[in-house]
Amino acid sequence: MKLFGNKPADEQKSQADLLYELHVRQERQFQGNVVISWIILLLMLYLLFSGDTLGLHALSLDSQFIKDNFGFIGKGLGVTIYISLLSIVLAIFMALFAALGRLSRFPPFYALSTFYVSLMRGTPLYLQIFFFFLALPQIIPWWANVPGLWAGVLALGLNYGAYMSETFRAAISSVGKGQREAAIALGMTQGQVMRRVVMPQALRFAIPPMGNDFIAMTKDSAMVAATGFVHEVMWRATRQGRANLRNLEALIMAAFFYWMMTLILTAVQSRIEARLAKGDR
Amino acid sequence: MSTAIIKLTNLRKCFGRLEVLKGINLEVQPREVVCLIGRSGSGKSTMLRCINFLEEPSEGEIEIHGLKIPAGGKGREHQKLVHHARLLTGMVFQEFNLFPHMSILENVMEAPIIVKGTDRAKAKEIAEMNLARVGMLFKKDEYPNRVSGGQKQRVAIARALAMEPLVMLFDEPTSALDPELIGEVLDVMKGLAKEGTTMLVVTHEMGFARDVADRIIVINEGELIEEGIPGKILDHPQHKQTRALLERYHTSEK
Repeated sequence: MKLFGNKPADEQKSQADLLYELHVRQERQFQGNVVISWIILLLMLYLLFSGDTLGLHALSLDSQFIKDNFGFIGKGLGVTIYISLLSIVLAIFMALFAALGRLSRFPPFYALSTFYVSLMRGTPLYLQIFFFFLALPQIIPWWANVPGLWAGVLALGLNYGAYMSETFRAAISSVGKGQREAAIALGMTQGQVMRRVVMPQALRFAIPPMGNDFIAMTKDSAMVAATGFVHEVMWRATRQGRANLRNLEALIMAAFFYWMMTLILTAVQSRIEARLAKGDR
Repeated sequence: MSTAIIKLTNLRKCFGRLEVLKGINLEVQPREVVCLIGRSGSGKSTMLRCINFLEEPSEGEIEIHGLKIPAGGKGREHQKLVHHARLLTGMVFQEFNLFPHMSILENVMEAPIIVKGTDRAKAKEIAEMNLARVGMLFKKDEYPNRVSGGQKQRVAIARALAMEPLVMLFDEPTSALDPELIGEVLDVMKGLAKEGTTMLVVTHEMGFARDVADRIIVINEGELIEEGIPGKILDHPQHKQTRALLERYHTSEK
């Protein structure tokens, strides 16, 4: 294509090429500036919170308190992750069950599924945690002896299961009717069709949103601290903060731990997604 | 017991109040290639899908290699018969329906292993043999979405063949293909016909029907209106609906 008169051939580039190069250059510049801005932001945060280490006394955080309690609060991460893992397992189980209910043509199963989802989505998670912790023993007395952690797991798992059921339902429906028909025509039973053909495809579809839910759940697990009996990050932070009147330091530390955990989990998630994207669909 | 591989007796199928099949009687003999033609909505696909019970027929009887299955059956006994019928028939769909999460080899190995309990090594051998038959062995480790539509359909044929069915059912196997890819699939089907595979083919490919079919059956509004050897049906159609149908193919071919 000739656009610029009599220039020598090797200097000629099409307009599309030039525009593309410009676009790439601009995009690279933008990304670079974002990174620089992030670094400045973090630096400012550090200066703001570094207390007397640089002689700035900006927020004059109690660095001794931070040093003394960093390990104590950090230890809660184990409990936080433990609760989240147990809850996500329960949630996946419930979501699968509810999704199959939603796809079922058997009215009681369908009704049960929609009832469960509606109830869980229609009431606050905070209330549900307290329900399982405080109210359930009134119905089932022996539940009072069960550690508070299980009330949290039950509430988180059932609550997230309700939300995730919609993802699962969509994932299962996304597998075309033709896939089932092909499997049935080959002589597979309903169970085999589900296990070998539908579920593997649905799972690929459901894994990215499940990752998001898990990350959200690790943070919502902080609400379990309200029971006062589960020694995860939030419980430890509020306890130490209140006891020493160092709430700012304590909460900043808790925030730091949650944030770092989220960053790591997000990185893991994008890895998994990249691998899923590589496998041919 | 007749010698027919497929025998349909007074087969009816209704979707609600719409009667799609109005009492079909049909026999397909061993090694016979039968092409079913008819305009869209005539019921030809539904008829094919009734044979392996992807559609439950409303009335009548389906007999596959002596196995009689009356319509409207329920319960475990009926399910067993239906399962058996599916093992005796292989089906190829318009949209291929390969399993996208499995490699081409795995697609073909899956049913023998899962359904028949064939051991892996033997299943692999069968799969490779059938992929070679359709000329797709060289792509065995690819995933379905990495091959063309024509190649997908050839794999789908191999997948059905791997179950060693007595009869192959083809539901418009080339209708979803780009024109330049139709030939390779038809060639594979011609090869199967030459090997003596019993085939029932729903198609719009009149050239294929003329070259390969032993018999052509014309279906119109849920009824078989005419049947005979290709020369008779294609060159001397008796029924005016057949003439109208063929007229449309002739005009579209030009």
